[in-house]
This record gives sequence, structure tokens and C-alpha cells, in this order.
Amino acid sequence: MIRPLLLLGAALAAPAVIAAPAGPLQVTSKVLVESKQRAADGTTRVALVPAKRAVPGDRVVFVLAYRNTGTQPLSNIVFDNPVPRGVAYRAPLPGSSAPELSVDGRAYGALDQLTVAANGIRRAAAADDVTHVRWRLARPLAPGAQGEFAFQAALK
Amino acid sequence: MFVRRAMAVLLAGTALAGVAGAAQAQTAAAQLTTAGTRIDNTASVTYSVNGTNQSTTSTTASFVVDKKVNFTVVTAQTGPTQVNLGDQNAVTTFRVTNLTNDVQDFLLDPDQQNISLGLFPGSDNFDLTSLRAYVDSNGNGRYDAGVDTQTWIDELAPDASVTVFIVGNVPNQAGAQYAYDSLRVVAAAGGQSGTQGSALIATDLNLNGADGTVDIVFADDDSDGALLGDIARNGQGRAYSGYFVAINNVALSVAKSARVLADGLGSANPKAIPGATVEYCLRVSNATLNASANGVTLNDVVPAHTTYVPGSISIGTPGALGIACVVNGSTEDDDSDDATETDGVTASFDGVAKKVIANVGTVSGGGAVAASFKVTID
Repeated sequence: MIRPLLLLGAALAAPAVIAAPAGPLQVTSKVLVESKQRAADGTTRVALVPAKRAVPGDRVVFVLAYRNTGTQPLSNIVFDNPVPRGVAYRAPLPGSSAPELSVDGRAYGALDQLTVAANGIRRAAAADDVTHVRWRLARPLAPGAQGEFAFQAALK
Repeated sequence: MFVRRAMAVLLAGTALAGVAGAAQAQTAAAQLTTAGTRIDNTASVTYSVNGTNQSTTSTTASFVVDKKVNFTVVTAQTGPTQVNLGDQNAVTTFRVTNLTNDVQDFLLDPDQQNISLGLFPGSDNFDLTSLRAYVDSNGNGRYDAGVDTQTWIDELAPDASVTVFIVGNVPNQAGAQYAYDSLRVVAAAGGQSGTQGSALIATDLNLNGADGTVDIVFADDDSDGALLGDIARNGQGRAYSGYFVAINNVALSVAKSARVLADGLGSANPKAIPGATVEYCLRVSNATLNASANGVTLNDVVPAHTTYVPGSISIGTPGALGIACVVNGSTEDDDSDDATETDGVTASFDGVAKKVIANVGTVSGGGAVAASFKVTID
């Protein structure tokens, strides 16, 4: 009776990486935190480290890595990433292509094209209002090809 | 349980006014993601293979929000508490606000300061005795002895504040002027109502595999400015206050008057002739308005050629001058055994020294007490 309980406990404590269903397109989600690291010469640089320590106010980076493991090219690929509760979208990670944003999961566009209703008045959307980010691949993904998207968010 | 919840709501209400300045600089703790919350990120993906639509989901990346321990402790009074020598349960008031993204206990440690911090005009030159720290359990902002007895803060919600009192006794020490005190507050584990949590220890930054557990990260600052002893990011805070003995002496004066009550001849206007009864009146006044004089004793030697009238000492509120010495005065016995005395004032007559001794007790600030006794003229 004790053994299953222990196993359950271990499963909860371990970082949950749920295997995606097998298919030609493998998509891996990763989360990193920005960590200020002081170098020996006194300069500070921001490094991305696995999210072991994250407290409200920290910058976190969500990464989607994709790879076509099949033999056919894949077309019309759309990555739809709801922004998890407790984090606020900030910006695409430098080097990643900018995602399309949405404040409701239906209409997508650049931030300055979006509006939200607040107390009956529509106002321009802010980064805090973003609920979904979406990337679309314009060209088919050839077999074996891979890539990565990432966005920065703040832990609320 | 119900009472506690109601109190938490009250506390949260008062916190808004108290921490407005700090809250503007940073996000209110109640809006911070609670420690222990797991954040999962999964993307859903659609694509087509040879014109057939397919869909898949990414793996889920998760992490657990860690505990960002932050709080403030500040003095909640302007200047030192004014006290008098011998005061019991003198109070300095502090306020503790939880800015952590979780419910926290806080341990309280009242300290005497022996170095002067320049907070007040004078230097620290005395210590209070029996220094204790209590939580304002009923939330009325005032120390209630016997009611506010909790010595640690239990289950303080994010953004909630609570008042903490340091309570001590002022010694009867001549020349005492300033005593500095401080309240050290230590963040402790919350989560169990009615149980004092142990002090939090920051999780080692170099530990591996902490993704799924709640790490403890200290984010507390020096909450009351540039003073000593409040190191940032250590899970502890300290604020300072103090006591000030404003008055070391009171302006006590005694006026003595005599009145012939009867001359034994039944005269309407009795004269001081042998056999006449004379009432002496001692009126002690405290001209200092905001300090009372305690343990006031009057000694008066019965004049020569007079005889003390046994059992004639009376103590009470002064009457109108020249008409009555004492209004509703007590009747005191002449022996020095005060065991049977219950009214708080005692008196005796020393037959050898021919001396009347009246212990009139406390003369309040701006108040007066009178004592009378009678003699007959020999």
C-alpha cells in the first residue's frame, strides 16, 4: 500500500515532462529563467538557466523547439501557445521571430492592433493582457528540419 | 476559525492605508502568484501532411513558483513613548506587513538598545525591565493586558499587516531619560493555524533538482531606512523605537492651616483657649499636570501645649478653603498596623514623637489630597 503512494509523490515532485504523442512533428516545451551572473571581471550578464528558482517578478523564457522527424514535408504549421496563468507576456526572445498575439484566443495580430474592453470602454491592449501567442511557419518544414521559438514573460 | 478569518479581513483592510507608499513601488503581495503554484506551459500545434490536417501538442514544461519572502517592520508611532518612572506595561508600537507571496508566521524578538541611534534628542541611559512583545490580537491598535498575549504572528496573509507591541516596565531610576528599544522580526513557516512555525532558511542556490519544490528566496529589504542592524535579504527585519521619561520630578506643595472647631464653652465663634479643639489641615497639591506623585507621605509633629485627639485623622478630597478640610474623608486608626486598611490610604500617630503620619498615596497630576487631624489645647 505504501509503495504506490511513494511513487505518486515522486511523480509530483519531479519536473513534469509529459511525453507528446508520437508523430512526425515533435514539439518540446522548455522554461528557463533569466539569472544575473556576476563575472570575475565585475561585469554582470544575464544567463538563461533552468527554472529551478522562480519567484514573482522574475523573467522567465518559454521555448518551443520543433523538429520534423517524419519523411514528408509538413506544411501550414501553427503553434498556439496559451500564456500560462501566473505569467505575463513581455516580448519575443531576441533571436526568435515575433509571435502573433491575442487577448482572447480568437483574434491575432500585433499588440498595437489589439484592444480589450475594460469597464465598457475599449482600450489599447498592453502586454499584460496577452493570453495567447501564435507562430505560423510560412514555408513547409522539410524532413529532419528543426527550429525554435521563444518568448519572454514575467512571473506575476 | 471564524474569528481568525474575520480578523484577517480586517487586517487586510487596514493594510491598504498603511503600506500605500511601499505598494506603489512594487506589486502588491496579494497579486503575486502564490508560492507552490505550478506553472505549466503546453503549445498545441496544427499542420498538414500531403493535404491532411494533423494536430499535436508539445511537451509540457513546468516549474513551481518559489517563496519570495519579503516583509516590512516599522515603528508605528511618532517619537518615543512618554513614560513616568515606575510605569508598568509601557508600550512602544510597531507594524509588521507581510509582502511574501504566501501566508507566513513571524517570530518576534524585543530588544533593548544600548547604543543611541540618534532617533531621539537624547542618549540611551536606562533599560526597561521585563521587555516582552505581543501581537495586537483584537486589532484595536491599543495594548490590552491579558488580551493581547500572543507572542508571535500567526498566519499573516499576503499584504496583511498587524500591530505588535513591545511592553516593558520603567524602573525607578533617578535621572532616567531615554531608553531605545527595537523589534526584530523573523519570517517563519506558515500554513498551520495556531502553530508557531520555525524560522525560514533560504534554500541553497547551488542545490540541484529544485524545480518541483518550493524554494525559499529572501527578498526583504531594510524596511525603515538607513539604520543599523537590518540586513537586507536575510529573512529578518528590525525597527526601532523608544521610551522617554519627560518628567523626573513633580511640583508638590503642602499648605497647612488650622481652625478652632469648639472652645468647650459652646461659643458661636470659638476661640483658641485651653480646652478648645483645633483641626489642622494639610493640603498637598501636585502642580505638574501630566505626572502623578506616588507614595506621598505627610509627617506633622503635634505642636507643644496641644494633645492629639485619638482617631481623628481623616484623608480625602480637599474641601472649600476655611470651611471644610476634607470632603468625604476616610477615618484612619492611630496604630501603625495597616493590615486592616483597605481604602488605599493609611495613617498612624506616633505617641512618642508626637507625630502624625498620613500616607495619602497618589496625588494625580494637577490634583490635590488633604489630610486632617485634631488636637486639644492644653
